[in-house]
Amino acid sequence: MKSAIKLTILVASLGLASACTDDSVDGAPPPSGSTSGGEDTTFDHMNDGISPWDLLDRLQKEGPPSFTSHMHSCSKVRYMTLGRVLTSLGVTQIGAANAPALSAADLYNNGDNAMGAPNYANRIRENIGISTSGASREFDIFAAAAPQIIAAIPTLDRCKTGGATGAPASLFNAQGQCEASGITCLIGVPAEAAHLELCNITVTSASTPAVGQRLAVAALLAAAYTCE
Amino acid sequence: MMNRISILLVAATSFAVPACTSNDPGTGGDDTGSGSGSGSGDQWDQILGSREYDYNAALKTAALRLTGDLPTMDEVVAIQNAPDLAAKKLAYETKIRDYMARPTFTRQMMLFWRDTFKMGETAEMDAAPAFAAQLAVQNRSYLELFTATTGNCPTIDAGLTTITDANCVGTGPQAGVITNTGAMKQFFSNFAFRRVRWVQETFDCAKFPVEISPTPTDVGGAAPYIGVWPFQSISGLSTGRVNFQDVSAVVCANCHQSLNHIAPLFANYDIMGVYKPTIAVPTPLDNSPLAQLTDYLPPTETTAWRYQKPAADLTGLGAVMAQDPAVQTCGVARIWNWALGKTDIVDALQEVPTATIETQVANFAANGFKMKDLIYAVYTADDFVKF
Repeated sequence: MKSAIKLTILVASLGLASACTDDSVDGAPPPSGSTSGGEDTTFDHMNDGISPWDLLDRLQKEGPPSFTSHMHSCSKVRYMTLGRVLTSLGVTQIGAANAPALSAADLYNNGDNAMGAPNYANRIRENIGISTSGASREFDIFAAAAPQIIAAIPTLDRCKTGGATGAPASLFNAQGQCEASGITCLIGVPAEAAHLELCNITVTSASTPAVGQRLAVAALLAAAYTCE
Repeated sequence: MMNRISILLVAATSFAVPACTSNDPGTGGDDTGSGSGSGSGDQWDQILGSREYDYNAALKTAALRLTGDLPTMDEVVAIQNAPDLAAKKLAYETKIRDYMARPTFTRQMMLFWRDTFKMGETAEMDAAPAFAAQLAVQNRSYLELFTATTGNCPTIDAGLTTITDANCVGTGPQAGVITNTGAMKQFFSNFAFRRVRWVQETFDCAKFPVEISPTPTDVGGAAPYIGVWPFQSISGLSTGRVNFQDVSAVVCANCHQSLNHIAPLFANYDIMGVYKPTIAVPTPLDNSPLAQLTDYLPPTETTAWRYQKPAADLTGLGAVMAQDPAVQTCGVARIWNWALGKTDIVDALQEVPTATIETQVANFAANGFKMKDLIYAVYTADDFVKF
């Protein structure tokens, strides 16, 4: 009996049949997904529930809610938050109308749709899931922003230890090697040996040190800000 | 809430059976319980038990969510250099209180409630999110979302950091945000059903159908009626113009038993969200005539939030919603999911089992449903600071 209840709810909730009618209609239910109104139906029912297959796949990969509800998820950095993060790392013209084409600010300013920004006029909240388009745009922004960030980090009050008059951070020392202080400021958590190792390998493996530094910063940003 | 996932898993199973059936009954029984939360609990418990405190990682996430900015180097170092776990915990919790005292917390709350309500970015559409944000910033009761009769349409500045008290305009009843003009406009629809769905999903964290009887009733359809209201308690063609008792395809009453008892309360708001003295929402019938009360309910029925939970008007609805434990728990679950980076509890079925948040729910109720205290409790919970 319990299964029957669930199946009934299922059919109703998934909207696999027609809408309520203004006249009795005999016959078989219409095809699955046919939930829009018509001459014999009087109301367009929503049919946008989560796919049971997607749910099953998620549960198998991530575990049951009794487990996942205790764990942090990997939600993307919200669009507005990403803009403030970039600004706080020294990227200029975030939100400005005249950002140079293909600059980090330009990619950000015109990337709201790709990055799932909200569309409240259409009753759509911000999509905090990670999408291919959103992650791609974000990584493009990081790559474009790297030179600005490398130059700005030593000047940023937020990155100084001991307040605005304290010791500045730096991403690279005079020999071009990665510095923990700058990486800590960049990623928002204390830099670990693995961060420094990845950074230095990226720098030394690139065609030139300058290219390597840009790649290293972009890679660290991507790792740190794919999830909020 | 776990029922929702079970329902969808039943769906998957029901589709899979005809597609995958073989004549050998002995080959398909190796996956019982998968995914629904049963079985292999030890594996998941072991993972949960292996997590360790990481207050720096928690600080970064908390900073991004509570302030919208990264922590400063000094904030990072303060926790990093704390001598032991207790000192790190103290430094972290002090910083969380600091973050929640900043003007940027107002902005973050505003963004959270805009997303939760699916509305905002104009003065009209920001009043409801601003009121909810104000409750959090001022550590007021969550239940005011359903019961406030004054000051429930505040304004917010362009920077989203300053909320200014204001009463709602118009002549309609006042009950927190469920009478908000912007919300009524945003969720306008035939029969006011979209408004009901918004209230239901936003504040009860579940899609219709939500009132399910353990004893289904055969009403002549392909499947039984599963509601708790009497099947005849909503209108059919004998009293209204739409057959909500139709069973030719799905059993409409499974959802409409609840919908039809709530929707008339929201039916006096017109397409602009303005309260009118009479019903002001259309029907999807030819020429879109306005709805009538008898379209929803027979004359013997009255409006209600749930079966045996009557609500004569919207203030009554707000009052009974505020007393509903499911509504109270939903508020905690939404804050929990926000903190832990989950997608929507309804749209994406990111459900929070009662056991996960029972401490927070109990403290929330015992503490007068204070919003800021709840948020602090969630951001300092072990689940938030362990990775």
